[in-house]
This record gives sequence, C-alpha cells and structure tokens, in this order.
Amino acid sequence: MRDRLLARLLGLLGIAAVLGAWELAGRTGALNPVLVPRPSLVGQTLWHILSSGEFLGPLGHTLLLFATGYGLACLLGIVLGLLMGFSPALYGLFEPLVELIRPLPKSALVPALFLFLGIGPATMVTVVVLAAVFPVLINTLQGVRGIDPVLLDTARTFQCSRLRTLLAVVLPAAMPMILAGMRVGLGLGLVLVILAEMLAGESGLGYLILDLQRSFQIREMYAWIAILAAVGGSLALLFDWTDKRLVPWRGRA
Amino acid sequence: MIQSTAMPRLGGAARREAKRTSRAAVQPARPWLHTRASGLALILALLVLWEASARLGWVQSQSWPPFSAVLAAAWRGFTDGELSLPLLSSLGRMLAGYAIGCSLGVAVGLLLGGNRWIRYLVLPVLEVIRPIPIPAIVPPLILFLGIDDALKIFVVALASFVPALINTMAGVLGVDDVLLQTARTFRTGWTRTMLRVVLPATLPAIASGLRVAIGLALVVTIVAEMIAGSAGLGYYIVQMQYALRPDAMYAAVLCLALTGYTLNRLFLLGEARLIPWMGRG
Repeated sequence: MRDRLLARLLGLLGIAAVLGAWELAGRTGALNPVLVPRPSLVGQTLWHILSSGEFLGPLGHTLLLFATGYGLACLLGIVLGLLMGFSPALYGLFEPLVELIRPLPKSALVPALFLFLGIGPATMVTVVVLAAVFPVLINTLQGVRGIDPVLLDTARTFQCSRLRTLLAVVLPAAMPMILAGMRVGLGLGLVLVILAEMLAGESGLGYLILDLQRSFQIREMYAWIAILAAVGGSLALLFDWTDKRLVPWRGRA
Repeated sequence: MIQSTAMPRLGGAARREAKRTSRAAVQPARPWLHTRASGLALILALLVLWEASARLGWVQSQSWPPFSAVLAAAWRGFTDGELSLPLLSSLGRMLAGYAIGCSLGVAVGLLLGGNRWIRYLVLPVLEVIRPIPIPAIVPPLILFLGIDDALKIFVVALASFVPALINTMAGVLGVDDVLLQTARTFRTGWTRTMLRVVLPATLPAIASGLRVAIGLALVVTIVAEMIAGSAGLGYYIVQMQYALRPDAMYAAVLCLALTGYTLNRLFLLGEARLIPWMGRG
C-alpha cells in the first residue's frame, strides 16, 4: 500500500519534472517560444477553450462520428464473429475475404473512400468501421473457437436450444477475447477518425489541429492536442473500468 | 493507435495457439483449399461483380474503374517506376524509423523493467503521451522537422518505440523468478544477468512487440506521408485522389496491402528461425 503511494508520488514527480523543465527551457530561451510555447501559456489557452465551452462543438462532432462507427463495428464484428465461429460453412465462406482485407492498411483506404462516398459523415463512419471491425471480428472468432468443448457438450446434455447456448454459454465464454478485440479497435478507430478529419478538412478535432498548425496558432494547437489526449485517455480508462465490471471472470478460464 | 500495444500481442499469440489446436482437433486432414472453396469463390464473384459493374456501367462513377484497369495500372506503375519508386522510398523511411524506434524502445524497456524506481518515475509520463492518436502528433512536428524525411522517420520511430518498450518491459517483469535467483546463486553480475538471462527470456515478448511495431510502422509511414506529403506512397495515393486517377490509386492501395502482408509473413518466418523457443514460455 505504501509502495503504491510512493509509486504514484514518483509518477507525479516525473510528470512535474518534464513540465518544469519545459517551462524553464521556454523561459531561458533554450526552446524556441514560438514553436513550443511554455506549458503555462498553453495551460491558459486550454483553460480559455474549456471555460468558454468552445471545445464542445469540434469534440462532439468527432466523438459522434467515432461512436457511431465504433458501435457499428463492434456489432458487426461480434455478430459475424459468432456466426463464423459457430458455422463451419460461413467460416469457409468469409475467412478468405477477411484475410484478404485485413492486412490492408486502413489509412490507405481513406482517400479511396473519399472518392467513392464523397466527403461527409458517411465516409468518416465507414472509415472507423473498417478500422475497428477486424480486431473485434478476429477476437470474437477465436474466442468462440477456443471455447472448452465440455461447456458446449454440457449445454447439449441439458438440451439448451442453439440460441440459448449462444447467449448463455458461448457469449460469456468468449467475452474476454471480444472485449480485448474491442479495446484494440477503440485505439484504431480513434486514430482513423482523426486522420480522416485531417484529410477531409471540414470539421472536427483532426481538422482543427491541422488547421491551427497551418494558420500558425501554435498555442491553440497544443491545447487541442491536450484535449485530444485527454479524450483518448478517458476513453481507454472508461473501457478498462467497464471491462473489469463486465467480465470479472477474465483470466480465470 | 499507440494505445493498442499489448493487446494485439495477446490476441496474436492466443490466435495462433487457438488456430493450431482447433485445426489439429477439429479438421485433421481436410485440405486447406477444400474448406475455403466457397470463400475463394465468393472473392472471385465479388471481383467479377466489380469488373462487370464498371464495364457495363451499373455504377456510373469516375471513381469506379474496373478491376482489370487497376491491375493494368499496377503493372504499368511497377514497370515505369511511378509506383515502385514511391514504394521504395516509403519503405526506406519506414525501416529507418522502425530500426531507431525499436532499438530505443527495447533499451528503455529493459531499463524500466529492470529498475522499479525508474519505472515509477517514467511510466506515468509515457501514459500521458500514449493516448494521443498518432495523426495528431504530426502537425506540431512539422513545425520542427519540416515535411521531409526527418519528420516521417521521427514519427515512425515514435510509433514503433511504444510497443517495443511496453512489450519489452512486460517481458522483463514476467521473467521467471527462479531464473533470476539461480543467476544470483551463481553470483552472476548485473550486466551478465541482463544479457544472458533476462534478455533471452524476454526475447519472445520483445519479438511480439517488434511485430506489432512493424504493422504500425507501415501504417504510420503512410499516414505521415498523407498529412505532410512530399514523397512516398501515402503522398502518391492522395495525389491520385486529387488527380482523379482512381485506377492508379487503387493500384497503390493494392500494392500497400501486399507489402503489409509480406512484411508480416517475413517477420513470422524470421521469428521462427531466430527464436525457436517462442511460445514455449
């Protein structure tokens, strides 16, 4: 317990040391103040953006696109993964296609989708879906295939229907793997939505950050990157927190 | 993207394990082609559909070239260098960044894994930076490094650094205590213990980190080239989008997919050769 407290303290010290060194380097002129404004100045700008509520628009825009795409990807990945895991015929049908599309760097598809779907929310959502669906799908599939056959046999012994077996036996057993896939998809989806916004240049966090850099509003740019980092961090923390409560049986298989 | 470092490793290892066991148990002698005949037929059907929809004008769009045109564009691009030169330049930058990022990542990972206090001090700083999606790091870096090679190499190095570090550290922390105690019993020095005991025991974890990193490195190279384009395949793809030459663009995407696949395959091959004790932890 004391050890953990000490670890926390040291961690805060590490972060404080980096910020302090940065501030000092800015004040003494070791760092170019135009390119890297001092953290205190960035902090002021950040506070201004936060307190004026300015952040709600772009943040909401990005998060909405992300959440829609991510939700669709999870749904699609889990359903398809369960079906492929359950039915050898469907597995044989879809596996080669999945293996064909999976190694594609999804970022390379962004310009192709712009051409095809035009620049707009539909494209952004598609991009996120493409990025997040494969980790979910693959993990679901492996989760289903890795199920202890005894569990399935037991369900059969009790004459559980297929649907009931799926919902009460297969899904909980595969849940840790599915969530691990969703965790990977979360990071990938966020990366792709930011990239797509940067390339499409209309609105959202990604567009804003690139635009601020191009118009040389450096402080604002750093402030928005900090906001983005906070969003990414909170999403990951939120996920891990939910994960712990959803599958307390993780690692005890 | 940086967030998802340790997980694919777990997924990957478990996946391979599961694949091996399920194949051995469920379908002992069924030939690969037989189980996948329907799937290959599906791919073929989709390709035919693509070709037909473009040729017969079902999809009336500038951006929907027939598949054969894409193949032709890929062939042309490779023979006249329009496609192969950007690919080579992208690969060069990627490998440079990858090598730098991975060597630093492994070194720092060993350090953080080996010393508790340094770990407590440095890890939180890393945790603050990690959730920033990679594309967002590019704009501020453009200010320092311009848009040429230095920028891309740096971004790739940064992207490879994190999984290399995290996996190495996790590997060091997971080294069997008995090994360390045995080394201590023989009064092995710190350096020697690190090199002869900890490093070999950590190699499988390091290798997984490096494999995650190589996938990331390719993606990040393309991303950086798209955002701060001056050369390379990412820039080429965006250019072809603007130039309304979809066949060339799809050809580049295709070639990128092949590259990604090949890199991963090569890595797995090398891994099996160099670390035969992989997966037998």
